[in-house]
Amino acid sequence: MAGPRTPLKWLETYSTPIALTLILVGVVGLTWASGAAVFAQTVTDTLIRIMLVVGLYIFIGNSGVLAFGHIAFTLIGAYGTAWLTLSVFKKSFALKLPLILAEHQYAVFPSAIAAALLASLVALVVGVPIMRLSGIAAAIASLAVLGMFHTFYNNWSGWTMGAATLPGLPLYVDMWVALGWVAFALFVAFAYQRSRFGLALRATREDEFGARAAGINIARQRLIAFVLSAFFMGLAGVLHAHFLGSIAVKSFWLGLTFTSLAMLIIGGQRSLTGAVTGAVVISGITEVLRQMEGGFTLGGVTLALPLGSQELGIALVMLLVLIFRPAGLTGGRELAFRLGRRRRADA
Amino acid sequence: MLEAVEIEVRFGGLTAIDRVSLALGQDEILGLIGPNGAGKSTLVNALTGFQKPTRGVVRLDGVAIGRWPADRIARLGIARTFQGVRLFQGLTVIENLAAAAIGGGLKRPGAEARGRDILAWMGLDGRDHQLAGALPYGDQRRVAIGRALALAPRFLLLDEPAAGMSDAECDALVGLIRRVPEEFACGVLLIEHNMRVVMAACRRIHVIDSGRTIAAGTPAEIQADRDVIRAYLGTKSEPGHAGR
Repeated sequence: MAGPRTPLKWLETYSTPIALTLILVGVVGLTWASGAAVFAQTVTDTLIRIMLVVGLYIFIGNSGVLAFGHIAFTLIGAYGTAWLTLSVFKKSFALKLPLILAEHQYAVFPSAIAAALLASLVALVVGVPIMRLSGIAAAIASLAVLGMFHTFYNNWSGWTMGAATLPGLPLYVDMWVALGWVAFALFVAFAYQRSRFGLALRATREDEFGARAAGINIARQRLIAFVLSAFFMGLAGVLHAHFLGSIAVKSFWLGLTFTSLAMLIIGGQRSLTGAVTGAVVISGITEVLRQMEGGFTLGGVTLALPLGSQELGIALVMLLVLIFRPAGLTGGRELAFRLGRRRRADA
Repeated sequence: MLEAVEIEVRFGGLTAIDRVSLALGQDEILGLIGPNGAGKSTLVNALTGFQKPTRGVVRLDGVAIGRWPADRIARLGIARTFQGVRLFQGLTVIENLAAAAIGGGLKRPGAEARGRDILAWMGLDGRDHQLAGALPYGDQRRVAIGRALALAPRFLLLDEPAAGMSDAECDALVGLIRRVPEEFACGVLLIEHNMRVVMAACRRIHVIDSGRTIAAGTPAEIQADRDVIRAYLGTKSEPGHAGR
């Protein structure tokens, strides 16, 4: 399993993100061919959630440290892209920004990168003290970070319009754009997890004492993953912002925190495949239940599930998975394929 | 040269290590024995940064390292194993060794190559892609030694590596440990309950009891030492009896 030497070997080594991407391309392609606009919305929404869960996975999956604060980076990414991409007129109307932001409207692609980098930068600053913590202390500290940014953005009127919804962002994210970014995230996440940094971090997940004895600086390895993870959490915020066209601080709070964590845990927090599976399965169930809350026809009778069925359904699925498959649906395994002749099985 | 000078470790009112001094060269195997609770593991912890000494100095080639974090000491070339093994159970055997080689400064391909070399040297090849946690206990202990060696250390501190092994496994282990100083240019500090292992592997033995040095010398001298017999061997029915 050393470095990939031939193109064939490369395809095998990266078979997990390749397979996952191909499946997503298939789904998006079919949706596009069917021309169903409503379904396209659902698929885009699911892709954004995959981005969120992959972002969470990079840190939580590899480090084994539960973190509750990652949605703060999504919040930062969403507002970051708003500051850059809103038209000058809208900015002057709604916000009080410094001139370099107020007098320019930047292109969406570099803005997306810049907003995600801003999230990474914040992660670097808050991560230095937090990454020294483990277990429940780390989880609570990260939640405190989310609380801080939530309060800050809610009251920072000149930049965020406070608790009000900030409208008018360019609507450029459709399912193809989201797919492109998700594919990028999948390859980066996978390259990271098989890199020396990813392996060192997974070692700390398995045994902290063993890792220290192996010369691994736990805080540093966690910080690397934290910063990388924040980049994709930030990108998810960017996609969300330009998919809906408006953002509000309250969308990036405990609801989204727990939904995204539930997706990761249900899918299987120890594999990239698990992260994607969780996002897809939960989004699917949510969508079906939402449709049923809206009313459906069964044998000539129109029925509707009571409001709240979505939340109850997700809670039920979560309980069942945790009871019967505590390691998540994928149980930590990766989707992968072999090309050409099978290598001799290891004796 | 790895030296402990007048090391003292206290936990509240309890003195776990009381002014113990020892020195280990890169070309030798030093045995460290003593009854249960004598402070052997605490001494290893103090030498590897897992326990800050209350007093005294740990020196590596004359540089005081006693207050440095454990991972930094490991990177300087002092590797250790644990009584509780502490493998990365959910990772494969080769990943266990590669992680330590990475900790020691290698990149991923080089780390795996070194891991494979060490596994072959230990006779553990063919297990590369098994999960470490799924191995039999004796193999887990051997993988733990392999992981420590993957750091390319100059000193290797083995905390009861033979625990739970059969006599045949112990003999094979002694064979491996005896080759470490010459083939890896790495000194070994061997903590062991099993007298058969210690007497066969070491030319010099250090004995502690209740945190104090009570004897130091060749295996023959140690076996004849009255204090040692009283403190340690006297409690067992015969010297060859395994600790557990």
